[in-house]
Amino acid sequence: MHYDLIIIGMGLSGLMAAKTAVEAGQKVLLVGKGMGSLCLFSNTIDVLGNLPNNIKMKDGLFQWIVDHPKHPYSKIGLEKIEEALSSFLSQFPPPYSFQTIDNMNCLLPTGAGTLRPTYLIPKTMVEGTRVDEGNTLIVGLKGFKDFYAHYVANQLKCRGINLQLHDLSYQEITATALARLMETKSFRERIGSEIKKQLQREAKIGLPALLGVHNPMEVKEDLEEIIGAKIFEIPLLPPSIPGMRIFNRFKEWLIQKGVLFLLGYSVSKATTKGKKCEGIEVFHPPVTTSYSADCYILATGRFVGGGLKANNETIFEPIFNLPLSQPPSREDWFRNSFFGDLPHPIYQAGILTNASFQPVDERGRLTLENVWVVGSILAYHHAIDEKSREGIEIATGYRAARHALEK
Amino acid sequence: MNLKTEVLIIGGGVTGVGISRDLALRGIPSVLIEKGDLASGASGRNHGLLHSGGRYVVSDPEAARECIAENRHLRKIAPQCIEETDGLFITLPEDGLDFREKFLRACQGVGIQTTLLTRDETLELEPELNPNLISAVKVPDGAIDPFTLVLENAKDAEGHGAKILLHTDITSLILDGDKIREVRAKDLLQEEEYNIEASFIVNATGAWANQFLKLAGLHIGMALSKGSMLITNQRLNHSVINRCRPAADGDIVVPNHTVSILGTTSIRLEEVENFGVTGHEVSLLIQETSKMIPAIQETRLIRAYAGIRPLFQSEEKGNDRAISRGFVLIDHGKRDGIKNLITITGGKLMTYRLMAEKTSGLICEKMGKDLPCSTHLKPLPGANRPTHLKERLKQFSKEQGETLCDCEFIPRKEIEEVLGREKLKEFQDILHRTRLAKGTCQGGFCAYRLFGVLHDLKMADGDTNKILKAFLEERWKGIRPILWGTALKEEELIESIYKGIFNL
Repeated sequence: MHYDLIIIGMGLSGLMAAKTAVEAGQKVLLVGKGMGSLCLFSNTIDVLGNLPNNIKMKDGLFQWIVDHPKHPYSKIGLEKIEEALSSFLSQFPPPYSFQTIDNMNCLLPTGAGTLRPTYLIPKTMVEGTRVDEGNTLIVGLKGFKDFYAHYVANQLKCRGINLQLHDLSYQEITATALARLMETKSFRERIGSEIKKQLQREAKIGLPALLGVHNPMEVKEDLEEIIGAKIFEIPLLPPSIPGMRIFNRFKEWLIQKGVLFLLGYSVSKATTKGKKCEGIEVFHPPVTTSYSADCYILATGRFVGGGLKANNETIFEPIFNLPLSQPPSREDWFRNSFFGDLPHPIYQAGILTNASFQPVDERGRLTLENVWVVGSILAYHHAIDEKSREGIEIATGYRAARHALEK
Repeated sequence: MNLKTEVLIIGGGVTGVGISRDLALRGIPSVLIEKGDLASGASGRNHGLLHSGGRYVVSDPEAARECIAENRHLRKIAPQCIEETDGLFITLPEDGLDFREKFLRACQGVGIQTTLLTRDETLELEPELNPNLISAVKVPDGAIDPFTLVLENAKDAEGHGAKILLHTDITSLILDGDKIREVRAKDLLQEEEYNIEASFIVNATGAWANQFLKLAGLHIGMALSKGSMLITNQRLNHSVINRCRPAADGDIVVPNHTVSILGTTSIRLEEVENFGVTGHEVSLLIQETSKMIPAIQETRLIRAYAGIRPLFQSEEKGNDRAISRGFVLIDHGKRDGIKNLITITGGKLMTYRLMAEKTSGLICEKMGKDLPCSTHLKPLPGANRPTHLKERLKQFSKEQGETLCDCEFIPRKEIEEVLGREKLKEFQDILHRTRLAKGTCQGGFCAYRLFGVLHDLKMADGDTNKILKAFLEERWKGIRPILWGTALKEEELIESIYKGIFNL
């Protein structure tokens, strides 16, 4: 089968590229091994979390681009980044929509009781941006091992309680199972009335971010009505239920728009001739299928996603074997201190591209003319320290798809 | 608070707790002080090898003789700490057969039982071994859990009236003529200082022996030899695998529960603090041990660590592997004119009991008392406890709560029991007493959960993220040298959680 565009990888950057291409009427194949880091780490949309306080994102980004000419944001420019973020926002109409607080970063509580700066937040987390000492109750659930109400509450100087789910037959319950239970009315009534009983004078309630995968606002509003207090979600250890919501929303929409969506399939090989990619082989045991397209977008993520691999000597990109920027030897990959002031050099390693996100070699010469590279696999950013993961994914996915369309 | 006791033991390694138990069983009161937790020096940083003596038999028959005797005692008194795996000394084509013949003769000389196995017999026992091997000699090596050994010695000593004070350092000595009259001790967690008065003082500080002696203006000849080891993510061998040749770097693989430990290197150090495993050592260990077990090349590593061998030397320098691994008992009364001070150092995990016996014997002699040693006769308290995974899995029932550590299958109840039973002062103390953070993720997930449980139980309060960060920093020392392949992938996950989601 021949397509206009094949996108490899279905994390946020691959999804954004697919959306952008399909909106322009392209015939798109999206193939991915898994759901990417979206369902591990993405709860909200970070754009540049490490900005100083009280700076408008627009101004912060403007200065960042001036100061970091090699950064992926600098290849896109402020205007197109904003365009990309608007495109993302349009994908999430109410009730589960995303918003900023005054076009600046806001601070949200986390599962470790810390506050974390982020930019676009879903409606279910808005109340968490103003947690005052004593006015918030943090609620955990016994038998769920990835969220601890007292841990969070003690750091935030609030009160914490653990709900006992007596009639559950499991001794342990997972995040996805709890999120599904939250979608049932009877479960909500049970935990809602239990919270109400234990509520003292708190006006707000913080729950782990498990308020259902499909209709979180309904879950939230229903619980608020039962309890009589405002509720917000707190991001926790992976998996990320809010990330799954983003993934599902894109998936349903893209399939409806006619995108061929191959989830759980990995690309075993890419065939290139000269400076052109001629096709890919998709391996889904025991079958291997070949697909071709005019253009290809590589959005396979970093080490977790499998876009980058490392043996004990070097880092490489396994599908196209694209040139990378990387530290000279393994000794230089990591610093001696885990929490040092500077990020570990390995996390800035990545694929070299030109300003249009096409892969280039060390001397800046184009290596493949019909391939674009997007997302966290790119060189010269440090998404973890910058808190820019989702912003980079959204903006580069959007922008590279546009470049591919222009071709 | 001031303390008065008969014997003050400095150092909570296996030697110190061994002496504490020995004295307690003889009915002599003692106090042990340790600046960190139990087994935080070389006692907790070694191979976990129950020596048959084979490793030293050619170079140092005396040390080998001690090993095989202690091997037999430990099997009796500490079966809960031992896995009876046996050991193979394999001969690869490049090793030649001369050493094998010397080895067999020497084993016979000191009474180590040997069985010569053909290539095929060896490969049937250990299918992962290099198929080019010529033969193997089977000896009664085994695997030993040093943490449990130390904890059980301490527990038994306390059960017989000994006192053990952890996180306590010594700040100065008060000399009175030819004796140390008092020792000034400091509780490092409470910041409280007090005096301990004792008739005898035993310096059992291992690699730190000279740091302590400095307080008395003394010094002994000691070489500090760093040995580095790597832990694999799965167990590759049933028995202990050695090269049948003179001891060298990377010639031993010891199985331990579900993992294998690759060792070792030998690097001279000048200082006892701040030592780590270098990238070069990691490469060397993989290169050498994979000559015995080729699969090591492809195996994921989960941690690198190093320990310091305190080797006693009579001042001259040379190859550290050539210095005796035997121990030395120094009566500072005879050597330096301080009548009530004894230093016990050198030696090894394997001979801790014998070292304790000799030390306690010397004290008895000085006291003019004839009290026999019984540590080789009386089993340690937990001798009947099931330790193997199979037994632990059987106990895994519904009432155990959530599995806090998915790598090592540790249910919440097990942790709550440890927290309820022991009076633990520090986060690392908890980790020392459980298998938490010992598995594939090295505490990446379960350390966070442990903080959660501590807050639930009201055993932690306020901002504990500082301690969590300190734990992650400590964890980093062990994993930084082995980050590539799958381990690197997981590290990106861990970093994305703690620096990303949790913004620590």
